[in-house]
Amino acid sequence: MVGKTAAPGAPLRPGRPRQQWSGYLFISPAVLLFGVFIVGPFLYAIFLSFYAWDLLTPREFIGLDNFREMWHDPLLRKVLRNTFVFAFASVVTHVVGGLLLALGVNQLKNRFLSGFVRTSLFFPFVISWAAVALLWRYVLSPSFGLVSYYSDKLGFTPPDWFNDSTWTMPAIIGIDWWHTIGFTFIIMLAGLQAVPSELIEAARTDGANSWRVLWHVTIPMMSPTIFFASVITFIGAFQIFDPMQIITPGGGPDKSTMSIVMYLWTRGFQRFTVGYASAVSILMLVVMMGVTLLQFRGSRRWVHQA
Amino acid sequence: MGASGVNAGRLSRWAIGVALFLLAALMLAPLGWLIAESLTKESEALRLPPHWIPDPFTVQNYRNISGMIPFGRMALNSLIVATIATAGSMFVSVLAAYAFSRLRFPGRDAIFLLMLSALMIPGQMTVIPVFILLRNLNLIDTLPSLWLPSLINVFAIFFFRQYFNSIPRELDEAARIDGAGNIWILFKVILPLSGPALAAMTILAFEASWNSYFLPLIFIRSEENMTLPLGLVTLNADQGGSSVTVFAAITAIVLPVLVVFLVFQRAFVASIASLGVRG
Repeated sequence: MVGKTAAPGAPLRPGRPRQQWSGYLFISPAVLLFGVFIVGPFLYAIFLSFYAWDLLTPREFIGLDNFREMWHDPLLRKVLRNTFVFAFASVVTHVVGGLLLALGVNQLKNRFLSGFVRTSLFFPFVISWAAVALLWRYVLSPSFGLVSYYSDKLGFTPPDWFNDSTWTMPAIIGIDWWHTIGFTFIIMLAGLQAVPSELIEAARTDGANSWRVLWHVTIPMMSPTIFFASVITFIGAFQIFDPMQIITPGGGPDKSTMSIVMYLWTRGFQRFTVGYASAVSILMLVVMMGVTLLQFRGSRRWVHQA
Repeated sequence: MGASGVNAGRLSRWAIGVALFLLAALMLAPLGWLIAESLTKESEALRLPPHWIPDPFTVQNYRNISGMIPFGRMALNSLIVATIATAGSMFVSVLAAYAFSRLRFPGRDAIFLLMLSALMIPGQMTVIPVFILLRNLNLIDTLPSLWLPSLINVFAIFFFRQYFNSIPRELDEAARIDGAGNIWILFKVILPLSGPALAAMTILAFEASWNSYFLPLIFIRSEENMTLPLGLVTLNADQGGSSVTVFAAITAIVLPVLVVFLVFQRAFVASIASLGVRG
């Protein structure tokens, strides 16, 4: 997930036997937990995808039927599209917004203002999704919410966010931005501040104007950070669940805000079609790995290698 | 600092400052409204125009929370789960990272790579089998069902190993010559030099557990075993028209987080920043 593969540690010489034993001893809790809670469940999910099971009656082997059903499942197609729309919007708004905010905040000379802006941008990120989702359901409420009251004062009527299938997804994208932008912003700011200032000074001395410096020096130097931010934003966004399940428990009007994880949860834990849910989870893994791989491939063209 | 490429004139710098100030104020507005309404008498609260100052002021809404959900119990559950999950996963990860960084044994790099590749597996894929496993262990609807699966934190193992690799090996060789064992080297030589990495991972693990909603939603049934996020959503679902009690409950969850955040802000921000720079 984090990009570079591990640099090999000390060369592997056949260490002393005592050291070997210590090695196994030290990793044993992690390996045990890893087997029980990650590898085992992962393999078992693949196994379950070939079965029909409701968790109560004996399970039944059905071969590839779950995958065939997935192929013809219109709701699955819909939730995949919803999830892609959300993830794409999330990556674009977070990366662009985070970068602009970092560039802006980095220029502030007033330390008090700079601290205030950083704190208010970042604070929503530490609040749990449950609190954020409930709060925003009230903020956007048509009857007593802040947004409808003040838009009314400004002379326009906002949509009925959570009952209008065109506007539910944009509302959730906006709420997610409010909740998570601080994370992207901090990462961008750290990346920006790691750009060596000599490079920028040198470009200036050579007569480049501000925009050229930004476009030809700062952003290329920040490209590893921008790439990292887009990869993890995509991975996080593709697994979105909490706000959608809390704000629109049934998937929203016309199922317009049902994400793939929400669908998986519905099929696994509401309707107890565990085999089918496992098959959906495999699809999810494949899609996420595929997109991440594409991002890495594409990155060779634009990410500056230090 | 001073790395920005935009050498804006004084005027545009002013404009940027004003715009950022307005945006920051807008970001905080929902929270200000939340707090003000939660302190307003129920019959007046949540009326238009919105309250920005509680009028008439009351704390009765907060008293009403515990009539609807066992709030104190849920807060305690959250604290227990997050503390055990964080302390446990840090201990497990530090031990493994030390072995991956410092000890030599057959299969070491293969096991490490296997763990790394599992970072791609989303938690939602393993949740059904883990649910079945916990059901067979009779752990559904208990607190251990929430912290037990969190004890394995592959990302932390990876992060610590990278950090330990940056600590000079001469230090532990010197300790070893003085007769120190691995436990001593790890806890007395390596960890004291790993403060920032430990702080970063501890904060992130605690935050993830404290805010977790997905796993409790699936593993917990009864109110006395719920953690705060799930309890809050449950309260909202069967509030019986008292939205302002929900406001009080949201505030009661957000305010302690705000205080902790303001105290540890530097470490918090550093922990996020380190993800991008180290990765």
